[in-house]
Amino acid sequence: MQNILATMLQEAPNQNAGPSYIDNASIWRHMSDALHQSLYRVLSLLIAILPGILAFFVALAIFTVIGMLISAILRRGLAWVKFDDYLARSRGNAEWTPATSPSALIARGSFWVCVLLGLIIGVSAFDASYATAATRPISLLPYLTHSVGAIFLLIAGSLIARFLARSVLIGAVNAHLQYARFLSLGVKWLVLVLTAAMVLDHLEIGGIVAELAFGILFGGIVLTLALAVGLGSRDLVSRSLESHVERSGEHGVVPTNPPATNGSESIRHF
Amino acid sequence: MMATANSISDTQSHSARVATGLLVLLAPMAANELDSVLANLASSFATEGLVVGTPDAFSPESWPGVRFIPTRATNASWTLKAADFIHAYQLAGENEARAILMLGPGSSSLRSSALRDLGNAILSNSAELAVPCYDLPARAGLINSAILYPLTRALFASRVRFPLAVDLGLSLRMAERLALAAQRFAATNQSEALLWPINEAALAGFVTKELDVGPRATPQPAETDINAILASVTGSLFADIDAKAAFWQRPRFLPPPRGPVPFTPSADAAADIAPMLDAFRLAYTNLQEIWSLVLPPNSLLGLKRLYVTDGAEFRMQDGLWARIVFDFLLAYRLRTINRGHLLGALIPLYLAWVASHINITVSGTNPERHIEAVAAAFEADKPYLVSRWRWPDRFNP
Repeated sequence: MQNILATMLQEAPNQNAGPSYIDNASIWRHMSDALHQSLYRVLSLLIAILPGILAFFVALAIFTVIGMLISAILRRGLAWVKFDDYLARSRGNAEWTPATSPSALIARGSFWVCVLLGLIIGVSAFDASYATAATRPISLLPYLTHSVGAIFLLIAGSLIARFLARSVLIGAVNAHLQYARFLSLGVKWLVLVLTAAMVLDHLEIGGIVAELAFGILFGGIVLTLALAVGLGSRDLVSRSLESHVERSGEHGVVPTNPPATNGSESIRHF
Repeated sequence: MMATANSISDTQSHSARVATGLLVLLAPMAANELDSVLANLASSFATEGLVVGTPDAFSPESWPGVRFIPTRATNASWTLKAADFIHAYQLAGENEARAILMLGPGSSSLRSSALRDLGNAILSNSAELAVPCYDLPARAGLINSAILYPLTRALFASRVRFPLAVDLGLSLRMAERLALAAQRFAATNQSEALLWPINEAALAGFVTKELDVGPRATPQPAETDINAILASVTGSLFADIDAKAAFWQRPRFLPPPRGPVPFTPSADAAADIAPMLDAFRLAYTNLQEIWSLVLPPNSLLGLKRLYVTDGAEFRMQDGLWARIVFDFLLAYRLRTINRGHLLGALIPLYLAWVASHINITVSGTNPERHIEAVAAAFEADKPYLVSRWRWPDRFNP
């Protein structure tokens, strides 16, 4: 644009000498040159990174096929050695048990590991070709990888928030706390705010503003919860401490007439 | 409790070992209780063939003829654990016993005839597993009445009233089977896991005999938190049912009842059910989201009706309770939500059942008759469980 303006200024003293269509032609020529150069640069870049894109898809396809093969072999092999039966015999009723059969889980896991490996190799091949092709340091790819990390953080944070919120809700309801839902929501938002702050930090968005906002929000939620719990559950804490002291006094002895639960002396659940 | 030295067994000559002996394993107990149990045993069995294992230190000279062996010192527990069965089988093998009588804490409250019946049921080869039927107060053992007994009866076709009895008579075959099952837990560092002898006996096709033993002071968990214990016991039973699904899905005939339903007089004083109702109502307003993941709309509607019912009129239908337990069992199997959360969400519903049960018994109904009705509702609803177990995604109104 500066070149164009400079050209226009240089040609300004002669503007009365010639016809106006000469100036228009000059502008159009410069614009056309600029567009051609820009198109050339983009096309050159695309041609340069095309092998990288192809390498990405080829690596992904090859490792997916390898993953399918390994998965099928593992599935058949584990079925042949009766791995599921062995595990069912040995694990008893352990709390951690897979929803599907263990051999299917292993086969599926191996498949996805191969796919992930293909993705990593493909991305690194693409990265190499992009770095050599790009003449200017455009930080598109690193930002993309950060975005993937941020998405993982977001998913993990949401899952943890939901799990903790449910744990707190059920625990608080069974402890007969009237503000169980409030407590659960507080914990949920605490984790979600923390997750959001981590995601923004990971993406390098907001800088000091995000940090400040997170500090204020997190501190606010913690203070609110502390006030709510502190003021609302004094009785519960004192009861809990009293029962703890009583229990420690009779450590190791199984009572045959237990202390009453739920405020009723004659009800025995066991 | 400290185990006695091995010198106890050394004082007994090897010739005292009788191949047809009964091995009695006692839980740790106070000296006076131990004397009482030993007196009952001495009056019930011939002392020549009797081997008594106890972790407590005492003078064996007071009981001539009885051979005492030291057992490992364990914490007194309110029920038998996997490690107890492994230990019992090992001791039976070492002492060439052919029948085992395991007596839990508080067994001094059992009559001598109860011990004799339990032991003789095994010694006479009439059963592989002898289980006591306790005569408990109307408001005792409520988790057993609400969940353990009805589920065991419906799925394993057994009328044993106390599937998690703390006293058991075992034949050597039964002890071996239980020890094998317990080994699986021990291999994964779960020696404190619960075993379900009735289910194991049903799976093995062994004969189980239930014997009326009268009243007993039942030991209670040292942990008074009902939430933890209920989740632990129910979770263990659910896991056992899950592991034995191939067995109980086949239709089985329930043996006829041993006699008329015993009359258990209701407690005189009306229990305070208000805290339980409050717990249920609080849960209803807070746990809807979680319950709706587990229960079908019909059950949720039933709970909604209960929510608006007054305390005196509070009655949970037997069919509704059976459906709730079955749906929680299905959710446990399908891992619809985290299992810890699932069992935690069951607790307020159980408290609602207890409140309803107390209301029913206060109105004059025989508590045992109500528990039998609940168990019958579980039996009637078993096809629902089997159907949804096989096809969980089928439409469920």
